[in-house]
Amino acid sequence: MIVPASTVLGLSAVLFGIGVFGFLARRNIILMLVSVEVMLNAVNLSLVGLGSHFDDLRGQILALFVIAVAAAEAGVGLGLVIALNRNKPGASVADLTQLKW
Amino acid sequence: MTLLTGAFYYMAGASVVSALLAVTRRNPVHSMLWVLALFLHVAGIFLLLGAEFLAAVQVLVYAGAILIFYLFVLMLLDLPDETARPPFGAHWPLAAVVGLSFVALAWLADVEMLAPAGIGVAPAATSVETGPPQGSLSKIGLELFGPFALPFEIVSLVLLAAIVGAIVLARKRAAGA
Repeated sequence: MIVPASTVLGLSAVLFGIGVFGFLARRNIILMLVSVEVMLNAVNLSLVGLGSHFDDLRGQILALFVIAVAAAEAGVGLGLVIALNRNKPGASVADLTQLKW
Repeated sequence: MTLLTGAFYYMAGASVVSALLAVTRRNPVHSMLWVLALFLHVAGIFLLLGAEFLAAVQVLVYAGAILIFYLFVLMLLDLPDETARPPFGAHWPLAAVVGLSFVALAWLADVEMLAPAGIGVAPAATSVETGPPQGSLSKIGLELFGPFALPFEIVSLVLLAAIVGAIVLARKRAAGA
């Protein structure tokens, strides 16, 4: 391994923190979903780093499953965005204050 | 070896910078392009860590499919006044505090607790290298269709449910429904 596992974990923590900030601060619902993707990428990084450190393939397998679930999440999330946009144009979460249309 | 280490630190710095730009740009399309840069740099890190298949999947699935899907929806929605709006809500300092505290906590756990336990040093090589090297496609395939066959099938069910759900959610409602 070319760098210690703690370096990879630190990078993963920084990326996850950026994703958390983006998810909480952005007001555009699509960009909030993209921030979730940034967080998932950070988790994948830590999984692969630890898998490479322990010489264990399970880290990579788990990261593959995370990618598959991220694809499912993107599909359902963006379907919801389109359905919301049909009811109320725009993608700002500040507009979504009603429980029912 | 120093060249590879330097490459890792370049990828790490570039991915942090792209992630920061992605969450702070006002124009959503610019954000998406910075996320693309982030995904490609993370794929490079996977390559350096010996996960060649995962690097390929990252480029094909994340950068090639998921991100393009996000861009499609972004252009479908047509948000012309998005660049005129403030990119953050009024509470963004609170969000920054939460993000920074998460980084600080995770970093502390990383440095203080994991490093003395020996996670910072490479483990002693115990297994004799036989067959294809770590991270090669054949080993991952054998794992996926051997011990991980059931989770693999469940993931395919999850994807099927997501496809059906996305169609049901996004299609136009029939009149009266």
